[in-house]
Amino acid sequence: MSSPAPTPVYTLRGAGGPLNTLHFSCHDADTPLLYSGSGKGLIHVWNLNTRRAKKIVKGHSGNSIIWVSTLQSTDALISQGRDMLVCLWDLSEGRSEMVDSVWTGSVGFCQCSMLEMSPGNHLLAFPGEQTEEIKIIQLPSKTPVCTLVPDAKVGMVMCMKLWQPDSGLGPLLVAGYEDGSLLLWDVTQRSVLSQAKAHPEPVMCLTFDLKRLRGISGSSEKNLSSWVLDGQNNLQLQDNVTLVNPGISQLCIRGDGKLLASAGWDHRVRVFGWKRLKPLAVLQYHTDMVQSVAFSDHQDPRQRLLAAGSKDQRISLWSIYNEGAETG
Amino acid sequence: MEILTPSPEVRLTVAQCFRTLTTSTDPKDLVPALQTLNSYLDEGPGNKTTSSQRAEFRRAHFTRSLQFLVSNIQADWVHSLTATQRSELWDGLFLKGPPEQALLVLMDGIGEQSASAGLDHLVSITEKFLQRCRLADLLWYYCQQTSPSDSPQLRETLLGRIVCLPDLTANKLHLNNKPLFLPQQYYPLLAAEMFTALEKTCQALKDGTDCSLTFVAQTLGKVCVQGHSGLVLAVMAPRLSACSRSDMVWQRVSWKLFENVPQRWVESVLTGLVQAVNGPEALGRIIGNLVLTNKKAQFVITHKMLLLQYKYETRVLRIILGYLAADKDRRPLLIQVLRSVSQAWANPSAVKHTPLEQQLYVSKALLLSVSLLNDSELQELRSDLIHCMLDGMQSHLDSSVVRIRHMGMVVGECLSSRLDIGGAALKFEYDQDEETRELLSLMTPGTGDEPEDEPVNVVDSPQETTETTPHADSEASKVDPDSDLDSDDELTPYDMSADQELSKASPPRYLRDCLETLTSSDDPVRVELSLRAAEGLVRKNAFAAKEISVQLTKVFLHLEDKYNLSGFLSLRQSTMVALTVIDTIPVTQYLTTEFYSLNYSLRQRLDILEVLSLAAQELSKPITETKDQLISVSNSSSADLNPYPGDNPVHWRQEVERRIQSKTRRLTKGATKPPAKATPNHYAPVAGHFFFPLLRNFDKPQVTFDLLGTDHLVLGRLIQTLGLLMHLAVNAPIAAQMGRALLDFVWAVRYHVDQTVRRGVLFAVCSVFLSVNSQNLLVDLSDQLFETRTWLADVAEGDPDADCRSLAVQSLVLMDQSLKKQLQDPQALSLES
Repeated sequence: MSSPAPTPVYTLRGAGGPLNTLHFSCHDADTPLLYSGSGKGLIHVWNLNTRRAKKIVKGHSGNSIIWVSTLQSTDALISQGRDMLVCLWDLSEGRSEMVDSVWTGSVGFCQCSMLEMSPGNHLLAFPGEQTEEIKIIQLPSKTPVCTLVPDAKVGMVMCMKLWQPDSGLGPLLVAGYEDGSLLLWDVTQRSVLSQAKAHPEPVMCLTFDLKRLRGISGSSEKNLSSWVLDGQNNLQLQDNVTLVNPGISQLCIRGDGKLLASAGWDHRVRVFGWKRLKPLAVLQYHTDMVQSVAFSDHQDPRQRLLAAGSKDQRISLWSIYNEGAETG
Repeated sequence: MEILTPSPEVRLTVAQCFRTLTTSTDPKDLVPALQTLNSYLDEGPGNKTTSSQRAEFRRAHFTRSLQFLVSNIQADWVHSLTATQRSELWDGLFLKGPPEQALLVLMDGIGEQSASAGLDHLVSITEKFLQRCRLADLLWYYCQQTSPSDSPQLRETLLGRIVCLPDLTANKLHLNNKPLFLPQQYYPLLAAEMFTALEKTCQALKDGTDCSLTFVAQTLGKVCVQGHSGLVLAVMAPRLSACSRSDMVWQRVSWKLFENVPQRWVESVLTGLVQAVNGPEALGRIIGNLVLTNKKAQFVITHKMLLLQYKYETRVLRIILGYLAADKDRRPLLIQVLRSVSQAWANPSAVKHTPLEQQLYVSKALLLSVSLLNDSELQELRSDLIHCMLDGMQSHLDSSVVRIRHMGMVVGECLSSRLDIGGAALKFEYDQDEETRELLSLMTPGTGDEPEDEPVNVVDSPQETTETTPHADSEASKVDPDSDLDSDDELTPYDMSADQELSKASPPRYLRDCLETLTSSDDPVRVELSLRAAEGLVRKNAFAAKEISVQLTKVFLHLEDKYNLSGFLSLRQSTMVALTVIDTIPVTQYLTTEFYSLNYSLRQRLDILEVLSLAAQELSKPITETKDQLISVSNSSSADLNPYPGDNPVHWRQEVERRIQSKTRRLTKGATKPPAKATPNHYAPVAGHFFFPLLRNFDKPQVTFDLLGTDHLVLGRLIQTLGLLMHLAVNAPIAAQMGRALLDFVWAVRYHVDQTVRRGVLFAVCSVFLSVNSQNLLVDLSDQLFETRTWLADVAEGDPDADCRSLAVQSLVLMDQSLKKQLQDPQALSLES
């Protein structure tokens, strides 16, 4: 019958604070890296071969880090902290110095979203000084592109995702707001294309699958809500998944579009089949809220990992539904 | 009337033939003599003898001739005949003459001859006699005689020969018996012959001739009373049923046949018949209104088969009651039956003293007859039925046996719904099982049509079926061709059963916190967590547990399931067991004292017993096991906790069975397994603390608790628990004392009305014999053994409960074995002296 619940492959300890965000960078097969941002202002760079922290970056003057990412072409690290700054770091050749920083003025917990337009040219969307406002700038030139402010009262912006559609239109951005609605923005037109009320509670997290034009959002209640973009760029709500315990901090879709993972406030990571949202596994290890979950971007699919960062200061790494690994 | 005058001419000729046959050895003389004898039997046209001569021969000389032939069967001249002559002239005499005389002579001859060629010859003639349907001729011969022409003695003898032919031949021929004479072949043959005779009778009646069925009826009666009713009626009943379906003459013949069965054989014929027919209508056609005309039949059908016997299937009940209900003349009997059945059902003494199977049978009869009533009759019987229902349900629900309670509930439900008391039907909660479902199904009328007797020559239609199957196949194969290949299905889910609601509070870490929460908290979540954590905490920290063991036991004993927590009972029980195991003496002291004190519910008292027995079981596990195993064992035992202890005696029964198995000597199995090896355990030193306090106060009734009075449920459990405690104390030094005390205790209640108590007593006695070693048994308990033995023998024979009987037999066997072993051991004898 069903195999027993899986256990982590290994865990990373010593972050010294609750883990808010995780980011894999495994292009280099020799040294696969995992970046983690902690609540104490530390960014750990974990080497997944030695399973040790290769480097610890102190930044944001001890304020909580809420988002880390890397600029793929330049190997630069970008981080967002509660000190209202988004910082760009140069970590090459053992350095760890801040190259640039952007003042956001946001006091919320909304994570930034970044889009690579062309090598060396990125768009960064971040929450603005007004709670409902989203600003988009170009990097590295820091020229503002636009400011998106909804007309309707939807409350604080909670999460967002920026992408470039295949249809040739300008970049699109979907954002979740405090009253539970989702807004689809056309960045070049600065207009709302579509709106949908996905949750009765604030949207805590969302993620979007570019291939299927389908996204999913989580909230502080028990339901995950999935939605699609139709040909006219309308947001259409699809099926719901009801969980056992309420509260989702983050959602993540694996690169091949097969799996969806959710980081739950109930200390558990849930894994679903992305296509039909069929529940597949419940990963239990953490003893406190799981705040972040990420799938690695290994070249070899058998090495792919799922990482979960929790408030209990640990990162757990799991290997599930990897071909070859399954038979073991 | 010249026929009646004896004709000296015939006598002379016969005598002449005999003389020739005795003196001559020449076939030339013998053959004509035999031919002469045969000529008296031939009816052919070329015959020289007159009909009066033939009648004279048949009447007066036939038997004599046959006897003469049989007595000379070994004579030389018989052997000098050729085979054809022999079969034609010699055998022909037996087969052509009056069959009754021939049969008598043949059977006498077989009886007298010793094993020889002559005997074989006679047997083969008898075989031919049967094969040529001479029995039908015989029976038909008697049917034609409206007034008996021969003596009753002769008839009686003939009847005996016909009915007992298989016995007679089997006794004589032993292993050389012919298959035709075996009961399995003979009685169906006899039945077919009887049916042929009846057929001829019908024909004769249609032609206006009078017939008598007395002899056939006697044959039928005698066959049935000798226990062959199944074989005979299996052949006759379907044919009678089929023939009487449309033919009035047949019906009359059939009714007459059963009316003519002598009184003393009516019962066996009727019981056989109701089992052989396939529906109430068939029974009505075959016996007509026999129940109204024949007192004996009425008694058998309306009383004996319903209230005294209970071996029949439900189908038979349906047939009997359906038969009574089918005719308006017989309906008063149905009402009478219903009255008596309902009285029997409601009788509280019957509930206590009759076997369960009989009660089930009576319940079925009651439901069936109620379902057959029409509305006006129901109105008439309403008050009776309500009375019966209320009384009967009370006594059934009082019973300590689950099946009886269920029976009461089902019958109550059915009756109340049928009576329609102010629109409110009773509704009970019980587990549906096969028995209750069967009872419920009785209220819906039977399937109505009785199956056709004659299998209508169905032109089998395999073609059709084969035609349809390929269609179905092709459709089935077409199912769902476009199933989504690219779905989540390739990903098999992991086990997700651990994905439970997350509780907000954390479980208590210390036993005192548990205690605090359980006594004072009103938060269901915390109470549940404490409850779940308690057993683990008790076992983890025995030292801390000992400090507050009694206090905690008290709390748990009084704990109520205020929040309807799942698994409450088993959690509570396992914690109490853990406490008893950890801190045995104070806790047992507390529990055994509380057992007899005021203000406890029966449930709590039963809990106390349950906890004591589980704790004793856990303690009695061999010491060598590690502690982890101990815990896991106790967990598993408490997980499947039965909410109604006593309903399920399987647990301790298995234990005893196992022990008995190991002790019983089986001759076929070669060497026996030695009894379980004695190993040290924690229970032996403290067995007394469990056992003796429970015996202390049983005869002091409290206001709320009267063990020897109405609370026999607890008494039964108490004795069972004591038996278990005794059983676990095997090899303990204190066992002999315990055994003596237990035997003394159960002596007072050994004939208790409640069978659970009696079962408990027998179990206790069994365990005494198992646990006390045989030497002590003889030395310490010798004065009680004799009485116990007598009592056990009595129970084994006469107890209405089957379990009690078998337990009593087991105890007897154990006791005898133990004593025998002891008495055969010379060392023990010397010790005793």
